[in-house]
Amino acid sequence: MKQKKQITNKTIVFTAVLGSLVVLAMITANTLWAAWKTRGVTDDAVSEVSAFYLEEMADRRARTISNLISNNFEHMEKAVAFIAAEGIDSQEELRDNLGIVKSLLGLHRFALVDEDNIVYTQYTTYTGRSRHAFLSEVQDNDRVITTVTVYGSSKHLCLAIPTPELTLMGKKFKACFVQLDINEISDLLAFDDQNRANFALYAKNGGNLSGTELGPIIKQDNFFEALKGHIPEADWNSNYENFQNGQYGSITFDSGEMEETLCYVPIPETGWQVAVLIRESLIRDRIRDISQENFKTSINLILFAFVSVLVLAVILFRQLKQFSRQKLEEEKETSRSFRQLANTDSVTGVRNKHAYAENESIINRKIGAGEVEKLGVVVADINGLKHVNDTQGHAAGDKLIKDACVMICQHFKQGAVFRIGGDEFAVLLQGQGYESMQEVIDRFNKKVEENIKEDEVVVSIGYSVLTQEDHQLRDVFERADTMMYERKKELKAMGAKTRA
Amino acid sequence: MRKFLKTKIMLTVMAATLASTSCTGGTTADSGGESVSQTEVLLETVSGAVDFEHEPDSYVPKKDHYNFYFTYKTVHPWWDAVALGMEEAQRQYLEQGITITYEYMAPEGASAEDQIRRLEEAQKQDYDVIGVDVADDAIISPVLDEMIDNGTKVMTFSSSDAAEGCKRIAYVGNTHNYQDGADLTEALCEKLGYRGKIAILVGSVGAPCHEDRARGAKDTIAKYGDMEVVATEYDMDSVDLSYELTLKILEEHPDLDGLVCCNMSNPVGAARAVTETQHDVVIVGMDHDEEALRYLNDGVIYCLGVQDCFSIGYDTIQTAVKIADGNQPGELFPEKIDEITTVIYQEDAATMLAMLYGDII
Repeated sequence: MKQKKQITNKTIVFTAVLGSLVVLAMITANTLWAAWKTRGVTDDAVSEVSAFYLEEMADRRARTISNLISNNFEHMEKAVAFIAAEGIDSQEELRDNLGIVKSLLGLHRFALVDEDNIVYTQYTTYTGRSRHAFLSEVQDNDRVITTVTVYGSSKHLCLAIPTPELTLMGKKFKACFVQLDINEISDLLAFDDQNRANFALYAKNGGNLSGTELGPIIKQDNFFEALKGHIPEADWNSNYENFQNGQYGSITFDSGEMEETLCYVPIPETGWQVAVLIRESLIRDRIRDISQENFKTSINLILFAFVSVLVLAVILFRQLKQFSRQKLEEEKETSRSFRQLANTDSVTGVRNKHAYAENESIINRKIGAGEVEKLGVVVADINGLKHVNDTQGHAAGDKLIKDACVMICQHFKQGAVFRIGGDEFAVLLQGQGYESMQEVIDRFNKKVEENIKEDEVVVSIGYSVLTQEDHQLRDVFERADTMMYERKKELKAMGAKTRA
Repeated sequence: MRKFLKTKIMLTVMAATLASTSCTGGTTADSGGESVSQTEVLLETVSGAVDFEHEPDSYVPKKDHYNFYFTYKTVHPWWDAVALGMEEAQRQYLEQGITITYEYMAPEGASAEDQIRRLEEAQKQDYDVIGVDVADDAIISPVLDEMIDNGTKVMTFSSSDAAEGCKRIAYVGNTHNYQDGADLTEALCEKLGYRGKIAILVGSVGAPCHEDRARGAKDTIAKYGDMEVVATEYDMDSVDLSYELTLKILEEHPDLDGLVCCNMSNPVGAARAVTETQHDVVIVGMDHDEEALRYLNDGVIYCLGVQDCFSIGYDTIQTAVKIADGNQPGELFPEKIDEITTVIYQEDAATMLAMLYGDII
């Protein structure tokens, strides 16, 4: 049974350790494989990701500008309706109302134009034919979207609508317009991905409208002038046509150390293209960084798992060890108890004949080895036990045995007392007990003799010591036993009861 | 800003110096006959020809709202550039809590009569200051005197001042038109080796700036015995008319060697005609028209005198505020606030084009 328990504990430990190692190996292998796989497909994915990413970014910016234009047209219509309803009679009132609608609707440089091409803004009134050439287009179109370069190279987007129903101060007004600074439009396009990509707005001829840089090759220069020599002529021509025709396109070119990809999309009605550029190597590096970070994280996880498993294993091992030790101690205790129980006389509590036999065996081995020099054996026998049992019952007999044992133990305190028969005890004396043996025997015998007179416990003892001729304990015991019988006779003569 | 101040201070000193010489401007001719533009010397680069960086001076306006009326010779891009300088000044005053409103009006064609009508109408309104780019100094100057006598605060601005002795309070703009004409012509003469037949295109009849430049041109040509003026024509600030007049001159003088153009429209029409007829004529002219700058870049035009229109507009508003507050020329501002002219050549054209018009569309 004990053997079976030890096997179970080992199995648990073995299974736990082996299982942990297998799990660790699987995680490690999976992580390494995933890292290798990611790196392997990165290059192939970069181009595809770049094109998709760039087109999405460019589209987003194009939509922003389209929405801006739509909102401005919508607000202009509201502004004209508001001003028409105000019944304005003077230029001061008109300026005040222009200020109100400009402020309320967020219109930049909102202006009305009368049929004489006089332009009215919140602060100024001026003749505007030469300054706003696009106004000549208004009457023939529902709305006009024009890009203009103002003296000083400031670039503006002008949006105009006709106002055929508007009459103020006795004058007919033919149009209204807003003028949006393209630099401010560029600010609107600076999304959160600004730091990861360059963007710029371009006119059909490739002229930079936004003043923003499109990477280290194109910079703020004319799109097509800058790309000359960086892409094949055929590509250059097809992209130029795309610009002219307001079509999407993308270009990948080598800028020396890096590969650059740009994507451009048209902005409806403006004649503009918004181009977004990103360096593929940046994407690749970024993806690799991410892979590297993931790999590091996985390694950390593995280490963490390894340490965790190790700690758990140690804890488990210690607990199992402790459990085993406890079990062993319990088994030892049980064995000891059983052994003690087997070697103890149930009536007197001293060691029994079995214990004596074990000790005899040990002593015999030591005698044989010459390890024992001084050994005394006292053999004791209770006088009259049978008589007591027969006349007073076994309970009284047991009491007599106990009293006799107590007397023997009280005298031979430094000896080992064994009950080796129903009324017979043996005392083994070594060391101090051996040295004081004779003195104790004398005192014991004297006590016995007194007890005869007082009708108390009478014990006959005989004794002997180990001699050089003795080969085993039995030799000594027999001499003591012979002497005990002699003493029993002697005591009978003194009046002690016997079996007879 | 420091460069701007330095320029302004030097120009002011120069204007005072030049005032002591009869009708000379910001340019002079040296004794050897070679012209040297003083204003050009002041500019380290051609990019300084137009100053777009202005800040209000330390003067504290007395009111929080001013209302002005400005009228100029004719609807034309040159004055649109002046308008941008005005708007920048208006914007900066607004940031200080001072509202400036104004009208900035002109007829489709230059006309002293139209200008008088506009001034009479403006005088009836409650404007703080009326500013005039004089269409014809002989006709307009008496009108301005009368307005001053009636208590109206009147100033002149842009490129044409009133006649000497006019009572107008101050002038902001080109004070050296005669010298500009002389400088351009000197460059032309040098280019031609001081010999040849020259035609002069002028803008509006009676417009002081145009007439002064034409005089400067004629006087310069007169210095050289092997040179003669074979024709003088007025395009009335019309490019189309300038083109037609040039064709006519070339037809009448197929051996023409040079053209002096005294306003902004002249060189555009002249270059178109010369290009079309394949004549080998050296053209010198005025101002910053984009088409003219492209002709300069292509070598069709030899040189252009570019005026700082932006600064004219900005300083006009700043001076008008001071005049409206009752100030007179003196410590706060001079009677004539001069603005620079820079002569640029083919090698400067691209820079000037990029600076004024960018590279689009």
